[in-house]
Amino acid sequence: MKIIKRIQKPLLKLMSVPNEENLSSQSQLSSHFFLDLLDSIIVDVASECHRIAKLGLDANLEEEDEELKLSAQARVRMADPGNSNETNGKYVVDIFGQTHPSVANEIFECMNCSRSIMAGKFAPHLEKCMGKGRKARLKVTRSSSGAQNRNSRGSSVSTYSNHSSNNSSVNRLTNGNPSFAGEEHSNGASQP
Amino acid sequence: MKPKSSVNRPPTPDVVENLPEREPTFQELINIKFIETGEKERLMELLRERLVDCGWKDEMKALCRAFVKKKGRDNVTVDELVHVITPKGRASVPDSVKAELLQRIRTFLVSAAL
Repeated sequence: MKIIKRIQKPLLKLMSVPNEENLSSQSQLSSHFFLDLLDSIIVDVASECHRIAKLGLDANLEEEDEELKLSAQARVRMADPGNSNETNGKYVVDIFGQTHPSVANEIFECMNCSRSIMAGKFAPHLEKCMGKGRKARLKVTRSSSGAQNRNSRGSSVSTYSNHSSNNSSVNRLTNGNPSFAGEEHSNGASQP
Repeated sequence: MKPKSSVNRPPTPDVVENLPEREPTFQELINIKFIETGEKERLMELLRERLVDCGWKDEMKALCRAFVKKKGRDNVTVDELVHVITPKGRASVPDSVKAELLQRIRTFLVSAAL
C-alpha cells in the first residue's frame, strides 16, 4: 500500500501529461525495464550454453552439421539427370553413391538355436527353426513325452476343436496336408 | 565442494549492511510494483517466447558455440559468454518484438498510476 501511494502521483503525472519531457522520461523508463528483461534473458542463454559446453552435450552438433551437408549433397546428386538411378548391372547405387549386396551378409547368432546365420537368410531360417516347417514340428514332438504324442494323434477330443468329428479330416480341410494333422495337435498349436 | 570458478556468483548481501538509510528511487519503487504484480514474470516469459520464435536464441547459441570452440571448453566462463553475446543480443532483437514489449510496459505503467 505504501509503495502505491509513493509512486502514484508522480507516475500519474508522468503518464498522463504528454509533454516533451514526460514523453522522454516515459520512453526512458520503458526502455529501462525492457533492457532489464533482455539482460536477464541474455544471462539465461549464456548460462545454458555454458552448461552445455561444460557437460559436453554439444558433442553431436558437429556430426549433425555434417549430416545436413551430406544430405544436401545427396539431394543435389539425385536431381542431376546424368546419374543412372536404375540398377547398374548387378548393383544398385544409392543416393550417397554406395552399393549394397542384394542379400545382407552380416553374420550373427540365432537366439533360438544358437547357430551362426547370415542376416539376409534369417527369415527362412527362423521358419524352419521356430515352427512353421515339418522338421521343426518333428523336433518339438520328439522332445515332448511319448504319452502326450499318443493321446493327441488322431484323437477326436481336442481343446482346439469345437466339434467331435475326426480331427484328421478337419485338418485336411484347413491346410490340405493330412500328414500335418497329428503333429499339429501334439504341440497344441492350431494352424489357420 | 569447491565452487566452479567459471560461474561467478555475487556474494550474498549481509543482513547487517542492509540498513534502510537510502531512499529507494522512483524507478526502484516501480520495479517493486513490476515484480509484485507478477507483470515482470509474465513479460519475461513473453519476451523469451518471442525471441525463440524469431530465431534470436538460436543465433545467440551459435555465437556461444563458436566462442567455446575458439577458446576451448575448459576456459570459458559464464561472464565471458554474457559479454560475447550482449552487444549482438541487444542489437538483433526484431523491431516488432521490441515494440510489443515496450507497449506492454507502458500499459503497465499507466495501470500502476491509476
